[in-house]
Order: sequence, then C-alpha cells, then structure tokens
Amino acid sequence: VKLRTLVVPALLATAAAASRVSAQDARLAARLDPPTSAAVAAVVDSARREGLPAEPLVQRALEGSSKGAAGPRITASVRALRERLRTAREALGPAAPEADLVAGAQALAAGLDPGTLARLRALRPRGALALHLVVLADLVQKGVRPGAASSLVLDMARSRASDADLADFQRLFEADVRAGAPPGTAAATRARGIAPRGPSAPSGAPAS
Amino acid sequence: MDELDPVLRRAADALRQPVPPDPAARERILAAVRAERRAGPAARAWDWLRRPRAVMVSPLAGLGAAAVVAGLVALASTSGEPDRGGGTARPAALASPAAGYRTVQFVLVAGDARTVTVVGDFNDWNPRATPLSATGRDGVWSAMVALRPGPHTYSFVVDGRTWVGDPAATPAPGDDFGRPSSVILVREART
Repeated sequence: VKLRTLVVPALLATAAAASRVSAQDARLAARLDPPTSAAVAAVVDSARREGLPAEPLVQRALEGSSKGAAGPRITASVRALRERLRTAREALGPAAPEADLVAGAQALAAGLDPGTLARLRALRPRGALALHLVVLADLVQKGVRPGAASSLVLDMARSRASDADLADFQRLFEADVRAGAPPGTAAATRARGIAPRGPSAPSGAPAS
Repeated sequence: MDELDPVLRRAADALRQPVPPDPAARERILAAVRAERRAGPAARAWDWLRRPRAVMVSPLAGLGAAAVVAGLVALASTSGEPDRGGGTARPAALASPAAGYRTVQFVLVAGDARTVTVVGDFNDWNPRATPLSATGRDGVWSAMVALRPGPHTYSFVVDGRTWVGDPAATPAPGDDFGRPSSVILVREART
C-alpha cells in the first residue's frame, strides 16, 4: 500500500508535466524545421529555467513560421525577445506579472530605455503597469520621441492618472494624429488635459 | 476392528477394494502429457506470462518506472500531434469570459476580400483558425474572440495571403518578420 501511495501520484505528476512540455514542443516541431525547432526549444527551456514566461517565446516562433520567415531569423527573434523579457523583469521587479513583462518587452523594442520602466515601477510599486507600457510604446511607435513619451507617461503616473484616463489619452492622441496633428504636439496637448487628475479631455477630437 | 458392526465391516472391505481404471481417462491423461511435451518455447513463454506471481519493487525503482512511462506518454503525444494548420482554434481561446477571459471584437474593412481571418498569439498564429464574417455592409468583416487579459499581438490575413495590420490599433514594435502586426491590450474585467 505504501509503495502504491508513492508511485501513483508520482506517475500522474510526471505524466502531466511531460504532457505539458511535449504539447509545447509539439507545436514547435510541427511548424518549424528540426534545427530551428531545436534551437527555439533551447531558448524556451532556458527562459523557463530563469522563471521568464515561455509562452510569448513560443508564440514569437509560431508568428515567424506563419509569416514565412527563415529559421535563423526566427531563432534570432526569439532570442532577442528573451533578452528583452529579462531586461523588463530586471526593471519591473521579480514579481512582475507576465502581462507587464510582455508589455515591458514591447516598450523596450519600441526604443524606450530600461530606466523608464524602473522609474515607472518606482512610481507605482503595486498594481499592473501593462497599460502604461503599452501607451508608452504606442506614443513612440506613432512618432513621439522616446524621451518625451517617457516624461509624459511618468508625469501621468506621478499624478495618479487612472487607467480610464490613460485609455482616454491614448484614444484621443491617436485621433489627433490620424487627423494630421504632429505626434509630439498631440501627445503633449492631450497629456495636459488629464494631469493631474483634471477634468476629462474635451470631446472635440476630430473624428477619424 | 473386530468389534465393528458387521454392516460397517462389509462397507470397509468394499472401500479397500482397488478401483478398476477407466481406459478412456487413461487415454485423456496421456494425450495431455503428449501435448505438453509438444508445446514450443512461444507457448511456454505465453504460459509463463499468464501465470500470476508476486513482484517486489522498491520505491526508487517505482519512480524510475513512472518516469519511463511518462516519457513514453510524452513521446506518443508528440508523434501523434495533429497538424495545427488544420483550422481549429486552441480551446483556451474559446474559453468563456467567466473563466477570466474577455470577448474582443476584431473588425477590418476590406471591400474586395473573399476571406478574412485574424491570426495572433491567441490561436498559435494559425491563419485558418479564426475567420471573420462579412457583416454584409460596405465590406466590413468582424469576429468575436475570447482573450486572456494582457497584451496580444495579431494580424489580419486577407484572401489567405495578404497580411494586414489593424488600422485601428497600435503597430507591434520590434521584429514583425516583414509583415505587419498590431497590439491590443485586454484589460482585466471589472468586478
């Protein structure tokens, strides 16, 4: 009876773990050529050992496969994402959730520096940062200089702008840019409209 | 014995008489013995396998056996993995919003398109997994997808070959492999 109580749970636990790993490896093996699959699996395994999220790395590889990228480029892209996830975790702290790490990695890819992520974390030691980080990346992607974008979003965090304020800011900024406003001017103008926790931004944004 | 009742004595004498052998039974026994002698190694091995016996296993050996079985299970599931290009979405992407997912609407205006699909990190980037439906008005295509909270990267694929970013969303930063992607942030549901 004692042997059975030891072996049966161990068997089930080991089979479950093996099943999870094999399911992930199966996705890579089914979509990538064997050398690329092996290289990507090694990166994914190393990330998992570091406690970094593995699924975004698998998804990056699958994205490359679906878009017809060559194996070496897929592997390089997965490695680069692992580095950015690692940097984001160093800046945001070991307890940062996966969503914050992924958004942080995207902000780094957009050209923001790790110091901005760390300052954002210092201003908001608790609570999710994914929205702030996505807005940061969006500003830079749309043409706002990284330094200016960092200042605006850090000011909003400092003034405790709510998530709803931030979402409104992003929506109105995008509308202004689509209407032809210079990105830097649009961002600065809309940021003044919400900080510090002021009235809602005027609703006269040009329609897109 | 001398004091036994005469009836009992007659019964005891009758029991002491040898029983005459049954010729048919003797033949059956000899046939069985001959058949046993003719059995080959395979039959003997099968017989050995079927015979129940007690086996002593240490806990360490049991764990080792469990690991071997788990490895075989993993190998079997790897080799039997269906082609994910076949057009089925991962079940997780279809989980109900009650399980922490939120339903997101994807919309693309593509007037001349014959098919539009949305492809992203929620369906393993499978271009056939999540088709959009034509709403019948001005080339507007739409699909509802249940997504986990957090940032998601995605693209639209028009007519199975043209990758299109979402004009209403943020372009995905970083390497997009030469084909545009967009980012959506799904926020936690308010409770």
